[in-house]
Amino acid sequence: MKGHMGTILRLDLTNREISTIDTSEYEEWVGGHGMGSAIFFDLVDDKSVGAFSEENVITMMSTPLAGTLAPAASSRTEVQGISPQPYPTEWFTRSNFGGRFSAMMKYAGYDGVVIEGKAEEPVWVNVVDDEVSFEDASNLWGLGTWETQEEIWSQIGTSGWMATESPRDTGETTQKPAIATIGPAGEAEIRFGSIQHDAGNSAGNAGFGSVLGFKNLKAISFLGTGSIEMANPSDTIEARLWAEENYAYGEDEDIPLGGFWGFGSTPGSGDLDGFPTGKARAQGCVGCHKNCRKRYADSVGNESQCVEAVFYNSFDQAAHGGITKESAKAADITNQMGINAYSLSNGIPYLETLHERGILGPDGEIEADLPWNMLGESEFVEALVEKIINRDGIGEDLAEGFPRAAEKWGRFEEDIADGTLGFQYWGYPHHYDARTEVEWGYGSILGARDINEHDFNWPMYWQPTLMYLGGADPLIDAETLAEYTMEATPPHNVKPDYSDENIYSEDMAELVSWHRSYTRFWKQSVQYCDWAYTDFVNPNTEDMSGLTPEGEPRIFNAVTGADFSFEDGIELGNRIWNLDRAIWTLQGRHRDQEEFAEYTYGVTSKSGIPSSGVVGPHYMPVRKDGEWTYEDVSDRTIDKEKFNEWKTIYYELENWDPETGWPTRDALEAHDLGYVADELEAHGKLPQEA
Amino acid sequence: MGKNNTRDEAEPSVPDDGTSRRNFLKGAAVGAGVVGTGATAGVLALNNEDTGESAKAIPASEGYLLVDPAKCTGCTSCMIACSTAHEGKASHSLARIQITQNPFEGFPNDINQEQCRQCTYAACVEACPTGALEADPENGNVRMVDEDKCVGCQRCLEACPYTPHRNTWNHEREYAMKCDLCADTPHWDQEGGPDGSQACVEVCPVGAIQFTDEIPTQYDDEGYKVNLRDEQWEQLGLYAGDI
Repeated sequence: MKGHMGTILRLDLTNREISTIDTSEYEEWVGGHGMGSAIFFDLVDDKSVGAFSEENVITMMSTPLAGTLAPAASSRTEVQGISPQPYPTEWFTRSNFGGRFSAMMKYAGYDGVVIEGKAEEPVWVNVVDDEVSFEDASNLWGLGTWETQEEIWSQIGTSGWMATESPRDTGETTQKPAIATIGPAGEAEIRFGSIQHDAGNSAGNAGFGSVLGFKNLKAISFLGTGSIEMANPSDTIEARLWAEENYAYGEDEDIPLGGFWGFGSTPGSGDLDGFPTGKARAQGCVGCHKNCRKRYADSVGNESQCVEAVFYNSFDQAAHGGITKESAKAADITNQMGINAYSLSNGIPYLETLHERGILGPDGEIEADLPWNMLGESEFVEALVEKIINRDGIGEDLAEGFPRAAEKWGRFEEDIADGTLGFQYWGYPHHYDARTEVEWGYGSILGARDINEHDFNWPMYWQPTLMYLGGADPLIDAETLAEYTMEATPPHNVKPDYSDENIYSEDMAELVSWHRSYTRFWKQSVQYCDWAYTDFVNPNTEDMSGLTPEGEPRIFNAVTGADFSFEDGIELGNRIWNLDRAIWTLQGRHRDQEEFAEYTYGVTSKSGIPSSGVVGPHYMPVRKDGEWTYEDVSDRTIDKEKFNEWKTIYYELENWDPETGWPTRDALEAHDLGYVADELEAHGKLPQEA
Repeated sequence: MGKNNTRDEAEPSVPDDGTSRRNFLKGAAVGAGVVGTGATAGVLALNNEDTGESAKAIPASEGYLLVDPAKCTGCTSCMIACSTAHEGKASHSLARIQITQNPFEGFPNDINQEQCRQCTYAACVEACPTGALEADPENGNVRMVDEDKCVGCQRCLEACPYTPHRNTWNHEREYAMKCDLCADTPHWDQEGGPDGSQACVEVCPVGAIQFTDEIPTQYDDEGYKVNLRDEQWEQLGLYAGDI
């Protein structure tokens, strides 16, 4: 397949051995998540090992589109392995980050990197084209993620184009090495340490930075001067121009109303107005047309977006009457320490609630010495993070993550029941709400983490909700939205009916199945960025229809020369989803575990959750008496019994065993995964035929 | 293959008889011979009005690229578009426009946007000993490299007065490349050159590169680095003023 470099780098940290895998061995999975899952399945004999185990394998995979002009699909890196973050089980899961890493990895000649074993002493890995070496990281250990990168640049960034004295016969580059590194949080093996690249690219949720810390791998650096062959270069350029001209923000046009997500959103909008701007530019990942992030005159908050840009806003605002640079400084702390901002986003409000109730503090039942008088200042975040990393005082408990800390304090049952502890699925922080945006919740609980996939979230929730809150009508009416969505989701043609009745229906099972398959292939394997795709609704087109499903295969086929239809991608996505399901089954998954945090069933989303800012109306499309309309669905809980009946509907749709939730041999063999069924059978995990 | 480009190295000989690049590079590797006169007959020395230096007079290009480094987002789409259109491959190292950046720097010092200038007094053209790099009258006098004539001596790269040098050594095919305003893009089915389209201009998602047929001031950056940000840019919360 064109777009591939043909080689996957394999690093055995235990024996300091460097080898390669031919990409062609895994080409059927295309790239990203599919390849990562398949490699993990093959290399990890005992899938039930813990995250902090030498047997745990971490993959960092690219895509055939990385480094090309594929819009918002040229720069993602998919990270997989057994994660220390989920509660109570350390599931095999995924994370992802953008920037330059994936493209540079390919320019160096590699489609991905597989990390095995555990080094005896801290190391970093230096890759310059086909030269790969383990390097001593003792001088880097303890450094922040930004300092680490600057230090490595100073060591290897002096050759190349910018230095005219160097040889040119192996190629020159003006680019800095692209480095993925961990910070002190990862070194300390807390459960939510991130992997960091450049200033603001983080693989946060899943805590893989701490797995690298356990493995004594401080950083991996790629510098490449090579090139990527495409099946049809001219078609690739034309596909890019077609997408840009028809669906992206046109700078000569009026700035369209509309959102911060989706293919057509505007440059620099990724900080969600979380920072005061001043002099700034928009900044983007390699090959991106959107350029979500910003860089600032004082460089504070550079490249921060989404959660790290807003997680401290409310405290900052409360202390200062408006958002100040303290929010940006807080973001920088998370990026430089390599700590997952999402955990703090719900964790700090949780601690604050306990503190306000007198439960947590110097004299409380949970002893904690935190500078509450500094709440709203970045110094509070700094102090908290320092305690967690150093396992100092309350940090000892929090290093295990907030759910495990609550359990240790004997508060888990009580706090999860009323929502004080806002961690809705597998111990991941409450994000979008399972009670309203059910596809988000269902996908998360059927998987292994907060899905963080905004495909339905933007058009179904934000689009009408933001407009109503602003006193205006939604960009498009509910009937048109439903029509576009059905047209854009072949072969399932899903109906986005979020009514109380429909959320437990076969319709919703079809929607979730399509979503699991779409994201596993088009988003996590081909790696179309979550902030640009899907594109059901686009404010830049005359009729506001988006580029999904035409765009995904058009761009992909131009680069790869494959003849993939959109539906082929959905099918392969379902194959990958089944493989993941088999891995979870081998890890001990059973349908009975697939339950939300208790507050999901007992507290309405209208009440919000005390520890989360996710409150307010949730206008979403519903179908009533045959008519589509938008309705506020926030005044509801998930009905536990109906949800469990829905799980059966879903399992049967996927041809999984309704008693256990395990994939059947039929389901696996239908996807040419007979060898996976054999392994399930060998472990007594294959459902008995009825 | 290729040679080590130290400026004080003994200069290789350049045959004027159509010797192939591969043979020339083999010869260069052993450092044989003396500098030849090249194939650029009819050279007239003139004084550069801006610098006072003597330079070869060649017809002015009918097109130039202007850039706005304060608008550039660092996505490097222009670089990939350039290499894709010209070489049929996606690469940063095969691009004739170069974006350099440091993510930890403050705006506007975090990004430099460096394009080939189509210089009126083109040191690269002057340095080329074989006539491989000349103003092409068939393409609006754009300074272009004839790959067949290029012997790979890399003098054009060394002669470029800018850092990074704006012509590019193609280490895969062993010839020198430079911006031709997309006059010769075998891998892009669009008409290029001064009267056509340029891939980097078309692809740049924020319009940070602009084509012009007016000769920019040559002496410093002012003529080539311009403010392409407008009121809409400001409405997006991005800086639209002068740097």
